[in-house]
Order: sequence, then structure tokens, then C-alpha cells
Amino acid sequence: MRTEHVQYDLMDYITDRLNAQERIHVEAHLQECSRCMKEYQVMLLTENALKQSQRSEPAPVYYTTILPRVKERLVARQKYAWNDGSRITDIILPLVVSAFLLLLLIKIPITNTNEYTSAQALHQAVHDLNDDEVVQAVEKAYAGSSVSPNLEVAAAGVSEHLQGDRFLKTALSKQIDNEEIADIDIEGIISDLDGEQVEQLLSGLSERNRL
Amino acid sequence: MTDLSDLELVELFQKGTESAFNELVRRYQEKIYWVARRFVNDHDQADDVVQEVFVKVYGALKQFRAESSVYTWLYRIAVNGALNSVRKQRVRDFIRIDEFFETADDEQEQPDIIAEKNEHQRLVEEAIAHLPEKQKAVFILRYHEELSYEEISHILKTSIGGLKANYFHAAKKIGEYINHAHRTRSI
Repeated sequence: MRTEHVQYDLMDYITDRLNAQERIHVEAHLQECSRCMKEYQVMLLTENALKQSQRSEPAPVYYTTILPRVKERLVARQKYAWNDGSRITDIILPLVVSAFLLLLLIKIPITNTNEYTSAQALHQAVHDLNDDEVVQAVEKAYAGSSVSPNLEVAAAGVSEHLQGDRFLKTALSKQIDNEEIADIDIEGIISDLDGEQVEQLLSGLSERNRL
Repeated sequence: MTDLSDLELVELFQKGTESAFNELVRRYQEKIYWVARRFVNDHDQADDVVQEVFVKVYGALKQFRAESSVYTWLYRIAVNGALNSVRKQRVRDFIRIDEFFETADDEQEQPDIIAEKNEHQRLVEEAIAHLPEKQKAVFILRYHEELSYEEISHILKTSIGGLKANYFHAAKKIGEYINHAHRTRSI
């Protein structure tokens, strides 16, 4: 038999919780296995220490007080059930989360539609209009004439510093082909421009909170 | 009511007889108290665990299905409750480390507590308190509560082989802890 099996039975052997056959087996093993004998000595020390230790008993009357106090707790818990943490996690929290998700569901499509519309308008402004028309739109915007907000955004960005610059128009067009207006990568546009144009573009756009 | 089995009491309670719960409390309060006390080493804390265990039992009794015996179910709730209490106490001790020392000084001035907790008793309590949770639970249920490995297996959801290993290592650690403490203090 393997040593570890006897090791696991040692405490039960000491506390007399083995049957006769198991006892004989452990005793026989201990006589021939020094390792298990060493473990047995430690177990004996444990048992002696535990035997000597005496905990103070509660007064007998203590046990008669448990049930009434349990009942008191139960009544208190029922009375203040709404203050219980479980109510918050079971009812209130799911309600709050549901309301939040509902708001998100309502809000997300509107935002996307706006962004899509803006992107489309800007795309139109750059692609479908010729240079003269863009300049005209910009001039109208600055003159306070009626121009659609999206066209104004596009035109103002183009016009203030780089009016009529075909290079920028191409760069902007490329960018819009891949991204919606809300996600325009200014870095992508300016990578095609020289230093002065970049400075002008950035300062012009930042004034309009486009960055 | 006292001659009814645990399961009959549960069935009665489930049918609306409140006094069946009272009988269950009377029947198991002392056992639950000692399980808790051996885990937490403090009467007041153990008392709190006992009450919480029975409050929990009251709430869960309606859903009790006889998949395990009532007392192994009760023991499981008690062990979990006691372990939670020990964990919370550890956090409290960690946060209020300065207050802990003041409390320790106060205790030393009370002769009845000195009498209650002699040096030897304190050593044993320390040794058990230092055990890992699983080993501690196995040791308390096997050594003090004298439950069979089969019963402990139902309570702790552990194989009997695993329980025997845990019991052995727990007993060994307690012996080594006490031995080490005696040698250190005699130097």
C-alpha cells in the first residue's frame, strides 16, 4: 500500500474513527514506515493540543434567545425590504439599465442619420459642384445668403484659406469617399498639403470646432 | 412537533405551519453556533452568523427540495455564512489596524477574558485560523462536528479523496504550528 493512504488515515486512527481492519493496517504500516511514523508524531501533537484546549461555553440561556432574535431580524428585514440591497439589484438596477438602453436605442439612429446626411452633403459639395460653384457657395455663406448648413460647413472649410485650391478639394474628396463627416481624418487630408496650407487649414477648422 | 423528522418539518413549513421553522431552529441552533464559533473564534461574531444563517434558511426553506438532507443543507449555509464573516472580519482588521491594537490592550486588562483564553487555547485558535478556508472547513466538520466524509462531501461538494487529503494537511499544519510556537517561545 502507498504511504500517502496511511497518512490520510492517521488522524482518524488517533481519534478512533477507523474500523478494526483499518486500524490493524495502519498499525502494521507504522511499524515499517518511518515517514508515516513521523507524520503520526505530528498528528499526536495536534490531537493533544486540541484535547487540552477548552473553549468557553455560552450560558445555557443563550440558546433560548436565538429564535426570538431571528424573528426580530426577519420582521426588520420585511419592514425595510425596500432598503435591502437585494431589492436594488433585483428591481431598481435592471429598471435603470433598461431605461438607459432604451434611450441609447432611440438616440443612436438619429445620430447616425445626421452624420450620414452631413457626409452626403459634403460629398455633394466637393464632388458635384465645379470650382466656381464651390466658390459661389462659399461667398453666399459669408454674405449671409441661404445655403444648406452642410454645404456651409464644407464650403467654409474650403474657402477661408484655400479657396479654389483644387489640391485640397481632391484630398477632401478622397477622404469623404472613405469616412463619414463625423470621422473625417484631418491628418489624412493634410498629409497631401504643404506646411503653410496645413497651418491655415488647421487654424481655420479649429475656429469652427471641426477638430 | 419534536418527534417529526427534519423533512416533515420542512414540508409542514412549506404548507404554512410557521412553528415548524421554530422547531428547526431549536434543533440545530447549538450545532450551527459551534460551527460558526470555531470559524470566527468570537462569541458575538458567531452569534451574528447563527442569526443570519437562520434568516437565510427561513427565506430559502420554501424552495427547499429534498435533494440533500436538511442538516447537510443547513451546515452548508452555516459554513458559507461563517466563511463570509471571517472574510469580512479580515477586511475590517486590515482597515482598522490601529484600533485592533487598542482592542487587544483592552482585552488584556479583563481578567475573565484572560481566564477564558489561556495561552494554549490561543495557540490552537491561531493554528486553525491560519489554515486555508477549505482545510479549515474540513477540519472543523470532521474533527469537531464528527461528520462522516460522505456527509462533508455533500456539504462542501468535494470528493472524499480530496477531503481526506485536506483533513490530513490541516491536522499536520496545526501540529507543526503549535510545535514551532513552543520551540520559538522556549528559546
